[in-house]
Amino acid sequence: MKFPTHSRLPDACIISFALIGCLILLLTVLALFNMALAQVSDIGYFIATATDSKVVGAILLTMAAGLNAVLILMVVGIPLAYILARFEFRGKGLVESIVDLPVMLPHTVAGIMVYLLFMRRGIIGGPLWDMGIVFEDAYLGIVVAMLFVSSPYFINAVRDGFEKVPVHMENVARTLGATRFQAFKMVVLPLSVRHIFNGSILAWGRGIGEFAAIIMIAYYPMVISTLIYYKFTLEGLKASTATAFTIVLFCFIAFAILRYLMKFVGRYDDRV
Amino acid sequence: MMIEFENVSLTLGQFALHDISLKVNEGDYYFILGPSGAGKTVVLEAVAGLHQPDSGTVLLRGEDMQNIPPEKRNISLVYQDYSLFPHMDVFNNVAFGLKMRKKSKHEIKTVVDDMLHHFGISHIRNRATLTLSGGEQQRVALCRALVVEPEFLLLDEPLSAMDPLTKDQFIGVLHDLHQEQGLTIVEVTHSRREAKALATHIAVIMDGYLEQEDTTQRVFECPVNPEVATFLGVENIFEGVLTERKGDDALVQAGNLLIQALSDLPTGTPVYMYVRAISVAVKPKTEKIRPGQNAIAGTVTMLLPHGDLWKITIDAGVPLYALLSADEVKSADITIGTEVVACFDPDAVHLCVKTSEPLPSSNK
Repeated sequence: MKFPTHSRLPDACIISFALIGCLILLLTVLALFNMALAQVSDIGYFIATATDSKVVGAILLTMAAGLNAVLILMVVGIPLAYILARFEFRGKGLVESIVDLPVMLPHTVAGIMVYLLFMRRGIIGGPLWDMGIVFEDAYLGIVVAMLFVSSPYFINAVRDGFEKVPVHMENVARTLGATRFQAFKMVVLPLSVRHIFNGSILAWGRGIGEFAAIIMIAYYPMVISTLIYYKFTLEGLKASTATAFTIVLFCFIAFAILRYLMKFVGRYDDRV
Repeated sequence: MMIEFENVSLTLGQFALHDISLKVNEGDYYFILGPSGAGKTVVLEAVAGLHQPDSGTVLLRGEDMQNIPPEKRNISLVYQDYSLFPHMDVFNNVAFGLKMRKKSKHEIKTVVDDMLHHFGISHIRNRATLTLSGGEQQRVALCRALVVEPEFLLLDEPLSAMDPLTKDQFIGVLHDLHQEQGLTIVEVTHSRREAKALATHIAVIMDGYLEQEDTTQRVFECPVNPEVATFLGVENIFEGVLTERKGDDALVQAGNLLIQALSDLPTGTPVYMYVRAISVAVKPKTEKIRPGQNAIAGTVTMLLPHGDLWKITIDAGVPLYALLSADEVKSADITIGTEVVACFDPDAVHLCVKTSEPLPSSNK
């Protein structure tokens, strides 16, 4: 018996949604194309810029500081995400608002807040300065600025992951002899690994993209966004665009690899 | 006494348990029965130490369990969804409790393999749990719970997600577990069938209140109030007063109906009367009624298929329900509008004293 062949074309709704969705993609693609065209037309200059030790140094510094911020977030953000995912308590709404605040703040405001805390005379920066730990115009300043602006992305992604692990699994682990921490370590954490990975990518991306908050506390050493701004103001559009395109390529490759790797991380947690 | 609740009240968000007192003895197969949302699982989780009561005491082996965490109670819990750990294979799921008890690798391997063999699931030892059938998952969950040799096994609607055939097989497994190993089991369900098949004692919980706690036979024969009776599937419920008694033969006035029953209660006692629909015979009006039988005349208002039987609704001033086979319906020529007589023997009438105390759930 033959069945009628169905049309392979999606319906009108899907087609129109896809077309509308393309507009936002088009904007990014056009900007990239525009940028790439200029670089390809003078490939020698682009290669010279991309291999310039200043540019390479700034990229490595940015990536390392972002990674550092993510590692700190893992230590302090995971416990907070678990509390928010599992418990109801008075003032929870306020805590959630505080977590989300860096998302809504203008980046310059975030920068001022970080600066006021960690400057030489700041509440945190002051005592640490006496101990020889410096944030102003230092690597640590970059890390705390990145940490501050990227924390909501990490905490909220990880919290989503914890919420998806049924509390029944944790309960069963407890009755089988696991303490709350053991149940967290052996059941909740492994089942949320994908969300933690995803949150880390988001936070890292947000951190390395930061500019305003970083220059407030640490203009030097220059992260890549500071270097691009510096080149834009002092050396002109051509120099800054070549540097910008270098980081675009770098980020594109790095995030493509990370997204690919994510396919292999904690796949079972989708089906929890 | 193995498990004891003394006036336990507990609030969880919008939900609350009110003043629950119950006792589970060693070797009981104790059922907590109640409709969905009645608070049955919360009782189970309170036994396991996953919730702390706002007031009252939970005692295990006579010991107050306040501040004793779940991992120190030697209780195993199996949820309706089995809650197998998806990041571990069958072996590691079952071994989890033994690892927590820091048993040696060799001992874990031996004990787990024995347990898997006992439940006939050795062949799925290294399978990922997400690839298992419902019946296999259930067995793995039970193995995981039993391998740590708990003093109590708590089961939260363990059969509700199973197909009828697997369910019947599993009722057998649970029955053996209780009978052969003498394990104290507390099971939560809304299924009367499971309770009848397995329970030694039953607590009926409705809207967070304990309505009745007794042996299985007593609970099913004498539900404490019409709400419990309705939940337990009693179709015909009357409220009346015992007006006359000679020996065990009693007459109860329920509205306009005078019903014969067997009872040793004194006259003047207010009672509830419960008659199962399966005990009610329906005869044409012309047919002779056996002396000593209750006979209530009425008109058939509805016929509905009810499994292999037919459920007949008769309007006799009050609604009466009977369950008849298809043959009985055919031979008595019953259709909607037929004038019939509903008959039942006095020993089919279960009399329970109507207490003057208000029902617990009416205190809300």
